[in-house]
Amino acid sequence: MSWRVLRLEGVGKDFTRADGGVAEVLRDVTLTVERGAFFTLLGPSGCGKSTLLNIVAGFEGATTGGASLDDRPVAGPGTDRTVIFQDVSNALFPWMNARENVEFGPKMARLGAVERNERAEKYLRLVGLDADGGKFPFELSGGMKQRIQIARALANDPDILLMDEPFAALDAITKKHLQVEFRKIWSETGKTIFYITHDIFEALLLSTHLAVMTAGPKAGIKEVFQLDLEEPRSPSNPDFAAMYSRVETLIDEEVQRMRAR
Amino acid sequence: MNAGKLARLSVSILVFTGVWWTSSGTFFEEAIVPSPVSVAGKLGEMIWNTQLFAHLGASLRRIVLGYALGCVIGVVVGVATGAIRLARDLIEPPLEFCRNIPPVALIPLVVSIFGIGEIGKYFIISYASGIAVLFNTAAGVASTPQIRVRAALCLGARKQDIFVRVVLPSAWPHILTGLRLALGFSFMGVVAAEMLAADQGIGFLIMQSTNIIAPAEMFVGFLMLGSFGLITDQLFRMTIHRLMRRYMIPMA
Ligand SMILES: Nc1ncnc2c1ncn2[C@@H]1O[C@H](COP(=O)(O)OP(=O)(O)OP(=O)(O)O)[C@@H](O)[C@H]1O
Ligand SMILES: [Mg+2]
Repeated sequence: MSWRVLRLEGVGKDFTRADGGVAEVLRDVTLTVERGAFFTLLGPSGCGKSTLLNIVAGFEGATTGGASLDDRPVAGPGTDRTVIFQDVSNALFPWMNARENVEFGPKMARLGAVERNERAEKYLRLVGLDADGGKFPFELSGGMKQRIQIARALANDPDILLMDEPFAALDAITKKHLQVEFRKIWSETGKTIFYITHDIFEALLLSTHLAVMTAGPKAGIKEVFQLDLEEPRSPSNPDFAAMYSRVETLIDEEVQRMRAR
Repeated sequence: MNAGKLARLSVSILVFTGVWWTSSGTFFEEAIVPSPVSVAGKLGEMIWNTQLFAHLGASLRRIVLGYALGCVIGVVVGVATGAIRLARDLIEPPLEFCRNIPPVALIPLVVSIFGIGEIGKYFIISYASGIAVLFNTAAGVASTPQIRVRAALCLGARKQDIFVRVVLPSAWPHILTGLRLALGFSFMGVVAAEMLAADQGIGFLIMQSTNIIAPAEMFVGFLMLGSFGLITDQLFRMTIHRLMRRYMIPMA
């Protein structure tokens, strides 16, 4: 299905709290994500980033406004949008080996065994795990599991990958490798990425666009940047460093504001 | 099994038998705790005159039928309780109440209702095993990680596929634990039921042995319970290992 932009328009979200009160999480969030972009959301903890991603995924309905691909509103989960979860042990199917996990989407799409297998091999190779297809998730390291989850998502050929802090639980070295590899995968596959992170460095390394959110409750978008940083991106580049401190200042302001309340 | 493990197993069995043997006739009177030799003699005699098979057959038949019934009901109701909010709210309170009533306590009531026939025994065993299966199944179904369900939906699973493709496989370890526990409870249930109201079965054999002063028969009963409990449990584990291994792998 061809589309040009992912739109969030006037998105607001309230939750009913366990004590019966209302948590006013998001207010009037409006964003435009161009097809092919690597769009990253940064913001203070608890401001509503995951909530926003869940709305785009179709897991949660917005209280006001909503998400749409061009003019088609998001009405529920769909194969055009696949989420990559941080908690990979629960996200994968532990009773399936790596290959079977990757084949799950093609199987749901009723592809034949041969084609399913080809797809699995292709994407296992893409994430560098072609030799590990027979292993079960419990036999794989955290980084390997996350690669499997990425391969599983790509094997389904979605338009958009929705990623909620996918590398946050990994050790620093594995994380660095995966960031570099994932950026390559993104540029090779041309997928649109909607990405959440707490890590400004990661955001600047990967993204084409970056949105900073205000602190909740009633969180919104504080500022949106298009990143035209010098390639290859590196913290030692002056434009990278300048952008880093600019974003850091914005987030610090929000954290201060949150503390002051 | 490696050599060291086999050696330790032999030592463990030898010591156990030795303690039994030496305490019989010294610490305890022979008429109360007979020696392994006289129990073995009695066992041979009961095999020879086929008495043993009658008792064993009666108990095993009750266990198989009662357990099977308990498992079916336990899984079905457990799934409903774990998956459907309305079912949970309606079914769980009385069950939480019932789980505190041990099967043995129900025997007098069951005998007044069903008499000493077979139905009452099936009821006791199904009750004992069903409760264990039900609570474990419900816990397993309810504990399916939400993100696993969501991942499946993103990958194209339809809502009606989720139960079979995600919830059930995620719950298998819990369900199988329940089934295995229930097997043990079935043995307890059958003995209790037979001790109070039966004219055949291992429980009856044990109870009757005190009336006719035949302590060796009582110990033959213990021997049967111990070894058949062990055998069925091992069979259960082996079957799971062969058929369900992929569901039992560590979840970490
Ligand atoms: N189901 C829910 N019921 C009630 N409140 C909720 C629910 N889900 C989220 N919230 C609240 O909404 C707010 C935003 O949560 P969300 O998980 O989206 O934040 P986040 O920005 O992703 O945080 P983090 O950076 O820590 O992951 C939080 O205050 C949270 O307590
Ligand atoms: Mg979050």
